[in-house]
Amino acid sequence: MASNNPLDSTIEALRSQISACEAQLQALKLQLAEAEARANSTGPSLLSTQYDQDMTNGVPNAWQTDSLSVLGQTNNESNPPSQALDQSPQKWPLTNDEYKRYGRQLIMPEIGLRGQLRLRAASILIIGVGGLGCPAAAYLAGAGVGKIGLVDGDIVEVSNLHRQILHSTATLGMLKVDSAVSYLKALNPGVEYVAYRERLTPESAIETFQSYDLVLDCTDTPASRYLISDACVLLGKPLVSASALRTEGQLMVLNQPARPPGDASGGPCYRCVFPKPPPAASVVSCGEGGILGPVVGVMGVLQALEAIKLVAGRTGTESVEPNGGQESQTNPDPPSLLLFSAYGSPQFRSIRLRSRKPKCAACSTHATVTPEALASGSLDYVQFCGFIGPVDALLPSERLTAYELAADLANTDMHEATARRVGTARPVIVDVREKVQFDLCSLQGSTNVPFSEISTGGESEEWLAKLRSVSPEQPILVVCRLGNDSQVAVKKMKEAGLHGDGKRWVGDLRGGLRAWRENVDPEFPDY
Amino acid sequence: MASSKPPQGHFTLLYFAAASSFTKKSSEIFRAPLPARDLFQVLEKRYPGFTEKVLSSCAVTVNLEYIDLDEDQDGENSLVIKEGDEVAVIPPVSSG
Repeated sequence: MASNNPLDSTIEALRSQISACEAQLQALKLQLAEAEARANSTGPSLLSTQYDQDMTNGVPNAWQTDSLSVLGQTNNESNPPSQALDQSPQKWPLTNDEYKRYGRQLIMPEIGLRGQLRLRAASILIIGVGGLGCPAAAYLAGAGVGKIGLVDGDIVEVSNLHRQILHSTATLGMLKVDSAVSYLKALNPGVEYVAYRERLTPESAIETFQSYDLVLDCTDTPASRYLISDACVLLGKPLVSASALRTEGQLMVLNQPARPPGDASGGPCYRCVFPKPPPAASVVSCGEGGILGPVVGVMGVLQALEAIKLVAGRTGTESVEPNGGQESQTNPDPPSLLLFSAYGSPQFRSIRLRSRKPKCAACSTHATVTPEALASGSLDYVQFCGFIGPVDALLPSERLTAYELAADLANTDMHEATARRVGTARPVIVDVREKVQFDLCSLQGSTNVPFSEISTGGESEEWLAKLRSVSPEQPILVVCRLGNDSQVAVKKMKEAGLHGDGKRWVGDLRGGLRAWRENVDPEFPDY
Repeated sequence: MASSKPPQGHFTLLYFAAASSFTKKSSEIFRAPLPARDLFQVLEKRYPGFTEKVLSSCAVTVNLEYIDLDEDQDGENSLVIKEGDEVAVIPPVSSG
């Protein structure tokens, strides 16, 4: 719409001058209001003491120095090229992109400018990029943590995808750390990502942890949990530890404040809470025990939240720490263990933990865990936690292969070679997987006796009655998923006298239903 | 998981993770008072093998507070579980 009247252009010019002035006035009023608010609520000296108290509240002093130096440096910091056009030195501590990207958390008193600068100056190590590590890493990258390290030696499998949200069908077969970094770079390219493409070992832990402010334990074995906790104690790093199985999760912020071993005012470590590892035979992985995606997701998200709270500190001082009393001087958050039960009521329970255990092997004055012992590999975490190899409890004569079973089932009579060992009667097939797995898929004609009933051997002997009703000359063939539980079950059945002093054959399917699928029926579901 | 009050003269015991799998229960009622150091014995009697397979590595809490049974056995602080208490057996979960 070209105007041909000179008056029109004058009006236009005046209008734009007025709106520019109004905008400037608005900005000036805002600045004035902010300055007045600060002057009223906190005098300059109070402001500085409040800052000091915040910074010392359980957060490594290095962060204080870091973030303050960032604040102080703002005028000398090299400006992004896009802003070099501005002749004056940069006025603002964050880039324009950062103001926009982090705007929704920046405007919260809990974060604010200071919290964001501390996040940017922080480095966080995430060990394990699975069900916990994926959501934790996504939120920490999203929040603008300066450097994120990721440790994992595993590759992405299709059974991971219902919960490990950084990986995708397209990244199957990739190393988890690489898959994660590619997702995170797309999410926030402003973060530095460091990939460690191997499992954490006692020998590598100290060196790996050294360049990080905070560690997240997102691993899945007892051995790694003790190793990570020990390394954090030795190096004085706070640790955010979480775990999840089936429908439950646990969350703890450990070694916070991170005082040297022997200093009773430091936060408890993993060994203080769980001095004894669980018996190796009882340790169940998500692969065996199952896991609901959102359950482990909740725990990973909570880890990210605790990490942000620790790093960003507390800025909303008026409400959080009324007058900076003594309690807040020592530690604003006493150590706790948060329990999540997806199907429980209430779903969350927060347990108050003790301070450091007076006889703790890692963080007390009686500590036996030393940096030298850790680095030399003389602390054997796998042995400490016990190790269960594949079960090898049966004699070859007590086992059938998948081929043999297939041949027997295909013919009306038992295969000759098998018959010599097992007998001519067709065996009853006892599947000892838990009922929910049996219901997914099972061999034709098999009957279900869950292993949990056989192994607890408590008051319920229903399973025995069920098997005693089988005719005494009929052999019993026990099958399970992988061929471990089945061996233990055979032993238990013989102890209970089901083999009739050798008159009846009781044995198992070697390699379980996995062997059946691999050698006989590729259509048999692999779950 | 019942959070309702136990009947008179009893306390509630909550089972988490492996403890819940072992007993096939999420909670149970026991007679109070009971010295905390006797808790595992009572449980072992009801569930043979429970101590070795699960309890030995568990944390125990009373009314949402961690208690140290080892220290308790030294006689320092012989805590007694009272009527109406909520006690929990919490095995370490290591998966993730």
